[in-house]
Amino acid sequence: MSYVGHGGKEIIERVITDPSEAAAKIRGLAKIPIRGQIAREIIGIAYGFFSPLEGFMGKADVAAVCDRMTLASGAVWSIPIVFDMSDSELAEYGIKEGDTVLLTYQNQPMATLEVEEIYSFDKVKIAQSVYGTTEEKHPGVARTFAYKDKFVGGKITLVNQPKINEPFDKFFLTPIQTRQKFAEKGWKRIVAHQTRNVPHTGHEWLMKGSWLQTHGDAPVEKIETGLLVNAIIGEKRKGDYIDEAIVLCQDVLRTAGYFREDTHLTSITLWDMRYAGPKEAIFHAILRTNLGLTHHMFGRDHAGVGTYYDPYDAHRIFDQLPPGALDIKPVRVLEWWYCPVCAEVAYMGLCGHTKERQNFSGTLIRSIIQDGVKPPRLIFRPEVFDLIMETAEKYGFGSPFVTDQYLQNRNPVFTLPPMGA
Amino acid sequence: MSTETYPINIWINEERYEKLQQVGLAGMAQEMLAGLKVLRVPCTEEQKDKVLKLFPMAKFDAATTRSIELLPRDVKDKIFDTVIANKKLDIMDVFLAGC
Repeated sequence: MSYVGHGGKEIIERVITDPSEAAAKIRGLAKIPIRGQIAREIIGIAYGFFSPLEGFMGKADVAAVCDRMTLASGAVWSIPIVFDMSDSELAEYGIKEGDTVLLTYQNQPMATLEVEEIYSFDKVKIAQSVYGTTEEKHPGVARTFAYKDKFVGGKITLVNQPKINEPFDKFFLTPIQTRQKFAEKGWKRIVAHQTRNVPHTGHEWLMKGSWLQTHGDAPVEKIETGLLVNAIIGEKRKGDYIDEAIVLCQDVLRTAGYFREDTHLTSITLWDMRYAGPKEAIFHAILRTNLGLTHHMFGRDHAGVGTYYDPYDAHRIFDQLPPGALDIKPVRVLEWWYCPVCAEVAYMGLCGHTKERQNFSGTLIRSIIQDGVKPPRLIFRPEVFDLIMETAEKYGFGSPFVTDQYLQNRNPVFTLPPMGA
Repeated sequence: MSTETYPINIWINEERYEKLQQVGLAGMAQEMLAGLKVLRVPCTEEQKDKVLKLFPMAKFDAATTRSIELLPRDVKDKIFDTVIANKKLDIMDVFLAGC
């Protein structure tokens, strides 16, 4: 069965699954070690998360992304996906256009790269067009400026499939597997909830509200609307929630009954957040289109950082797209807060007790967790809180937040098995 | 003219609340979120700077709460114990002298 992804193109997995074919394919190739970001993006490309991309972008694609927010083909695309190398590395490995090279990670073969183009590109232009700023304190700009001076564009093929490690193994689904799962569940409408957080009840109601919006006029006797909680797993910074807590605590909302078994699913996508606000919202919409979702929830300050973007820029950008540019509908939502008058979690678009509201400040919630003080269940489900503490002990070296120790000693999300090549 | 204080938020569970009651400070705990109480231990700007220097993992949240956050739990436990021992909230000089 074929599946159509973003841009109307069939999702193709660029993966060699036969070990002997893979061994033959990489024999004699120059080996180039890569960093975690590039490895995660290879997985994104190879399994079709980034469809229609088949490899790292060439210059025409990067230029089109910067100038028109499209690929050279015209399909909407908002963030360059590039593989950077320095001149000295290119010389050291003797890489030239027309070559095929082997990209290695964790000292194991990972993917071949067909070197179609070696080029340079104005990083200031990338920063300004994608992030709307060139300030290096913006983490996406800092990432852009940290790229080496040359980019290597070309198709990649995964030759060594990653082993996803516990506890993430239960949650990693390729786009094709995700669509198969949706078909098993009989879901016709599916809304994405993008997350990098352990859920408090404000998040829970964002999800429930977006599910209701998505379900809309669909029949109620047989529920055919689902919610996919798709956690972004990528480079971590000190103070972030540990990945294990995010994924397991999102999932416990279903196993503890706050969501029905037949309406909720948790999965992960490997991606290093760029914090590009509206541009990242478009990228997330593309990603979830490829996963087979029909709707995508966008809340306040989606994928934003600091004060670079207006809280609802990520809503407005969808109005700038021509009709049919995306095959996924944005579900735009306001905030949920705790209202002491209503004595419940309330929606900004409905609750009139604006002065009395108590906001779900991420900082305050983290402060409460840090103190180990169990919040009221109206704010934090007890099952979630208990699991945070459990994951802190089991995976976080005693902390639910990323520490130096976690960064240095955590079990990796995936490992590449030895290929014997 | 009021001088801004830079509080450290100490969240109050039942055990902490009982201790506050015993020293007559229970009324100082403020309701912050869905009935959850917090004790806001004030710092002057100078005390705030000392805290951030002594505990570099902490940060001052200038954007939203304007409080000192991400202090390790054991540090906050000690601050709370200092409040109880001194039977008052204004204890940061005492706490910092002991660090």
